[in-house]
Amino acid sequence: MKISKQARRDARELFRTCMVHDALDDNRARQAVAGVVQKKPRGYIAILSQFQRLIRLEIARRTATIESATALPPQAQAEIQSDLARHYGAGLAFQFTQNPALIGGVRIQVGGDVYNGSVQGRLALLQQSA
Amino acid sequence: MSTLLQEIEAQISGLKTGVTRQNVGTVREIGDGVAKIEGLSGAMLNEMLDFGDGVVGLALNLEETEVGAIILGEYTSIKEGQEVRTTGKLLQVPVGKPLLGRVVNALGLPLDGKGPINTQTFYPVEKIAPGIIKRKSVSQPVQTGIMAVDAMIPIGRGQRELIIGDRSTGKTTIGIDTIISQARLNRAAETAKDSTYRPLYCIYVAVGQKQSNVARVMAVLEEAGAMPYTIIVSATASDSATNQYLAPFAGCAMGEWFMDNGMDALIIYDDLSKHAVAYRQVSLVLKRPSGREAYPGDVFYLHSRLLERSARVGEKFGNGSLTGLPIIETQAGDVSAYIPTNVISITDGQIYLETDLFYQGIRPAISVGLSVSRVGSAAQIKAMKQVAGRVKLELAQFRELAAFAQFGSDLDPKTQAQLERGKRIVEVFKQPQYNPMPVEVQSAVLWTVQNGLMDDVAVEKIKDFQAKLTEYLTNRKTALMDKIRAEKAFSDALTAELKDAVTEFKQTYR
Repeated sequence: MKISKQARRDARELFRTCMVHDALDDNRARQAVAGVVQKKPRGYIAILSQFQRLIRLEIARRTATIESATALPPQAQAEIQSDLARHYGAGLAFQFTQNPALIGGVRIQVGGDVYNGSVQGRLALLQQSA
Repeated sequence: MSTLLQEIEAQISGLKTGVTRQNVGTVREIGDGVAKIEGLSGAMLNEMLDFGDGVVGLALNLEETEVGAIILGEYTSIKEGQEVRTTGKLLQVPVGKPLLGRVVNALGLPLDGKGPINTQTFYPVEKIAPGIIKRKSVSQPVQTGIMAVDAMIPIGRGQRELIIGDRSTGKTTIGIDTIISQARLNRAAETAKDSTYRPLYCIYVAVGQKQSNVARVMAVLEEAGAMPYTIIVSATASDSATNQYLAPFAGCAMGEWFMDNGMDALIIYDDLSKHAVAYRQVSLVLKRPSGREAYPGDVFYLHSRLLERSARVGEKFGNGSLTGLPIIETQAGDVSAYIPTNVISITDGQIYLETDLFYQGIRPAISVGLSVSRVGSAAQIKAMKQVAGRVKLELAQFRELAAFAQFGSDLDPKTQAQLERGKRIVEVFKQPQYNPMPVEVQSAVLWTVQNGLMDDVAVEKIKDFQAKLTEYLTNRKTALMDKIRAEKAFSDALTAELKDAVTEFKQTYR
């Protein structure tokens, strides 16, 4: 779908009003969407889809995905959480998943940053250097 | 002690193979050699991006939520949703002497099938030009071997001289002639073991040219034995716009290596109009705002930052130089179009080639009135200055008189003499392609015509007279030619000797 410049601008404005202290306020976002749906301004579908994209990117930015080959013990999980919170600030959402393809180790992704300490990652590096 | 070192080394290498931090993104859109990538929050401008499988991109647009990147090379294997990584490296090309004699693409990879290039040195493609402290004014000549250029529009080492003209007026030929001339001079100095001569290495950058043209240029250079001193950077019309946009910068980086290492290099950009068109294409698909003639707003900066990298640096900084010969193709002789005016204003002068002159048989078709060299005269050798100082003025007067004389046949003897002299000068400046002339021969021939020793030769026989005189001087008066080359000026004794030689030749000439 083609999103016009105006719709992009409106979506960004809307998104800014939903941010409180550099963090997304879920209630405000819901209210904003309800308001747009009710009022139906010009190009509202484009505005909403762009708004959804911004929200999606913001959620991804504030979500830490921690993948490991086997389930991590609670103590290790707590350690990782505190380390990440210290580095990226409070308000991170944590997602622990298991991925046997990693073979061993942990892979952490926060937004665009990837910390790869998995065996799979090292093998890939080795393959690249060879 | 050594065990301690080894232990620390082992510790460090253990750390290195530990966790790696990377910045990643996903491809949201791909097409026309341009990818839009979501994420990549840590990407730098002009940073290389790794698309996996050896595909590399260049981050050109950093936007609020995404990065616009151009793909170098094949982009059909890239899919939406694919992961992209930052590399933390700027685009760089191999540089150094092993590139001489090779044909490479915009990334410095060989195209000539002569195997890999053995060089460990790399230079970034985009680099800031040398500053004012490092620079020195132009003072050494580039002998192009083209008499009209060396006499009237002299080029110095470190100068930027634009070659401008319509299609098929001999723009590339001037560049090729210059390369051949340099190769001959370099080889002559090598065989004579002359350590005072500074060899001039050449780089020919083909942007948006036909493959056949590049092949022909290569064949001509090979035949003339100029390839050992030349690098060809080729981004032909069949290469992507990205590669065409990068090729001049890659070539410039190779030239800068010579400059930084105290050597002299000459780079020919053939041609910058096609480069601007390629950049326009890249900019438009990246959705950058367009300006005049749909070129992006920074098309002036594109060429100015490229040409500013040609410079002559001072002795303290290695005494190297990079001479730039950009080529611009005009449409129907319109020099006031957007790109030509831009490049004219950046360069230190231009050689303007005219279609009319070309078809009148005046080749090289250099328009004397419109061609200038703003800094080159400081680099001209004294002998040339002595004989060529008045030529430009005399030719301009001749053109004016010739136009005037068309209307009346009654002319006073002085005007007639001026017309006759003018005709002979025009004849003398005609020169076949790929046939550069040494500077001592040029100055001797010009001296002959300036001093009226050709006035009694019929205009149609001038070329023949010149050829035979050149042959006579180079074969029979080698000592005299060597003296002119060594002294670089016409002293009274030398003038007398030259006069005797020419008079002696005229007695035998029929």
